[in-house]
Amino acid sequence: MKRALTAALLVLLALPLLYAVAQLPPHGSASSPPYTHVSPRYLERGPVEAGAENVVTDVILNYRGFDTNGEVTVIFTALAAVLAVLLGVRKDAGPVAGEPRAMSPVSPVVSFVVRLLAPFVALFAIYVILNGHVSPGGGFQGGAIIGALVIVTTVIVGRSQAEALVPARARRLLQAAAPLTFVCIGIAGLLMFGDYLAFPRVADLAWLRTAWLIAIEMGIGVGGAAIIATIFWTMGDE
Amino acid sequence: MSHAFDLTLLLLLTASALAAIRTKDLLGAVVIFSTYSLLLCLIWQHRGAPDVAMTEAAVGAGVTTVLFLVAIGKTVRRER
Repeated sequence: MKRALTAALLVLLALPLLYAVAQLPPHGSASSPPYTHVSPRYLERGPVEAGAENVVTDVILNYRGFDTNGEVTVIFTALAAVLAVLLGVRKDAGPVAGEPRAMSPVSPVVSFVVRLLAPFVALFAIYVILNGHVSPGGGFQGGAIIGALVIVTTVIVGRSQAEALVPARARRLLQAAAPLTFVCIGIAGLLMFGDYLAFPRVADLAWLRTAWLIAIEMGIGVGGAAIIATIFWTMGDE
Repeated sequence: MSHAFDLTLLLLLTASALAAIRTKDLLGAVVIFSTYSLLLCLIWQHRGAPDVAMTEAAVGAGVTTVLFLVAIGKTVRRER
């Protein structure tokens, strides 16, 4: 009985969905609305309207800012979930769950190469974040590069030394940097131009638009890096 | 020419995906999976999406691999 009911419900759910899918324009069809209206508009007017020469940044941060705002919130929530699970497990296991695993010593070759390359990787990451509105890249990419850099640095110098670089008080703030920056810019848009996440559109305020884009990119970069680093540090715990 | 390059990458991508699934040694599977990410990164770049390629290289090949390695270090290396 229960199974029959489940099957019936699934069929009832599937039929309207399949009907809706059947109404979609064929995949890749040049006459579908995204190709006739949306993409040409983005490509032609993106740099003028949205303020970034990199059209991808225009779409992500300006045209579809709401989506990205939700996205960074999702990433932050994912960190919260990971921390809840990992820290909860550790509490249950108790402090004497096992001997701390001895870290195998890092090869001098790896150590030397990481130390040699780290400043350049950091510079590249900052460039990717700050130049995201002009060239390919942006907050997500630069943040991931910084996160990866933090991970290799932790492997070389050990967790305690790497973690000491980030002040304990600032940590929570850094982890939430992306959603916080987004909401701040969103509210600034609300106060100044009457809509949440409204960007200045007049040519006189083009500098402000660029400044906001860079601010969001920096927030996403810092927040992303902090989240990646925190997950890695928490997983390596015990 | 361009299509041949794409096709080669896609074939390699499929092969590495299958290999990652079939490998019983999880450490090996993780290494194969990071190869998969690098191939996918090349495909993104070649298809004109450098933004996605950068993310794929940093997150897919870099961070995810490390997180998998840490997880293996805390559990077992062989699939049962």
